[in-house]
Amino acid sequence: MELFLEVCSKLANGFITSFLLFALTLIFALPLGLLMSFCTMSKKPYLRVPMKLIVWVLRGTPLMLQIFAIFYLPGLLDLFIWPQINTGWLWLDTTFTTRFIAALVAFVINYAAYFSEIYRGGIESISKGQYEAGQVLGLTKRQVFFKIVLLQVVKRIIPPMSNEIITLIKDTSLANTIAVYELIYQAKEFMTVEGLIWPLFLAGGFYLLFVGLLTIIFGKIEKKLDYFKA
Amino acid sequence: MSFLEVKNLRKRFGDIEVLKGIDFSLKKGEVLSIIGSSGGGKTTLLRCLNFLETANEGEIIIGDKTVFCANGTEKPTVSLEAQLSFGLVFQQFNLFPQYSVIDNLMLAPKLRAKSQKGKIDQKTLDAIREQAEQLLATVGLTEKANAYPCQLSGGQQQRVAIARALMLSPDILCFDEPTSALDPELTGEVLRVIKSLKDSERTMIIVTHEMEFARNVSDRVIFIADGLIEEEGTPEEIFLHPKKEKTKLFLSGGHSEI
Repeated sequence: MELFLEVCSKLANGFITSFLLFALTLIFALPLGLLMSFCTMSKKPYLRVPMKLIVWVLRGTPLMLQIFAIFYLPGLLDLFIWPQINTGWLWLDTTFTTRFIAALVAFVINYAAYFSEIYRGGIESISKGQYEAGQVLGLTKRQVFFKIVLLQVVKRIIPPMSNEIITLIKDTSLANTIAVYELIYQAKEFMTVEGLIWPLFLAGGFYLLFVGLLTIIFGKIEKKLDYFKA
Repeated sequence: MSFLEVKNLRKRFGDIEVLKGIDFSLKKGEVLSIIGSSGGGKTTLLRCLNFLETANEGEIIIGDKTVFCANGTEKPTVSLEAQLSFGLVFQQFNLFPQYSVIDNLMLAPKLRAKSQKGKIDQKTLDAIREQAEQLLATVGLTEKANAYPCQLSGGQQQRVAIARALMLSPDILCFDEPTSALDPELTGEVLRVIKSLKDSERTMIIVTHEMEFARNVSDRVIFIADGLIEEEGTPEEIFLHPKKEKTKLFLSGGHSEI
């Protein structure tokens, strides 16, 4: 019993880290994704082309690799490119905070890339007539987007968005590869140190519960937007 | 004296010239119907007047003000004032689905008041609401003020769209085939509303396939074919005594719209 409580408390600690990574990723990636989608839809090639390339790379390489890259690259650059100001392996053996931030940055840019494509699909699915109706009523482009188009886009992208967001909470486990003490990291410790496998399954239960909660929340949002057809 | 004057309006899409120099003028309070086969340029003309398309060449003059002037080289800018001189009712209604009927009407005036004064006070808001309620009564939809577009029939949606276009009191109200997306039994209610809007102050331009309606409601009729005004005159002249062969053929159903 005592062991079970200890496991639970450790896992709960790990879950807080997972949740933080999840919540902060959403806070930054949701608006960043929208910005990126504007760039990929832009008529200006100097915005569109590089952004399409960035999205391609971010969606085309493993997230784990991106976590490593962000975590190690500054140190490597430090070592090889600017040896004269070498401050050592800046990121490698540093605190939990810097590792957490490295993971967060990787998650934010990776998920923003996926979100940007979901936004693009949603925005491009809105009929031209909505923009034209706004224009003939004298609305500015900004007003048309924020007052007319955006909520219709939100309604349309909730199903793919909820899919992506559910994937995100489970993807946070990848942060354990750079020793961010999230949920899976904590559970694995019981396995390696004490030879216990069940804490890993218990960790699975944490994810399951949280995804259940997310499913209910998304269901509620969908219902709330049910009053209009878009 | 003419209130609206359109001079030599030309519009090209790539290599295809859709409008090949359109000239016409209207007096204040006149109702103009534009008829013609599909693909003849009627809708493009209306879209150019509403600045949804930018004409390559030509002038649009309202009163004594030139609101649009293009010479084929640089892209002309359109002022907000010019934009708001025209109102447009679309074939597909284009109501904003997330707003109730009354909010569809109030959105644009509210945003306009806000951008003029920085913020909107209760008095202005009440005035806008009152105007919206009056217009809803005009189109016979007072009881639907709080309904959402998806709860309305096509005819009701189009009547809301007409009221919405009137909220900003445009000098010239345009209709782009306002009944073409409606079931036959719903066209009557919309046509009646349009007819009821006719008064000495309101200038209207209607692109339509409803010949009977065009004949009854308009003061002048323009027949457009292949991007040019083929014939122009009073409803009697066009419908009863057409002069040109193309007009005769069109009116006899030789160019039937299927």
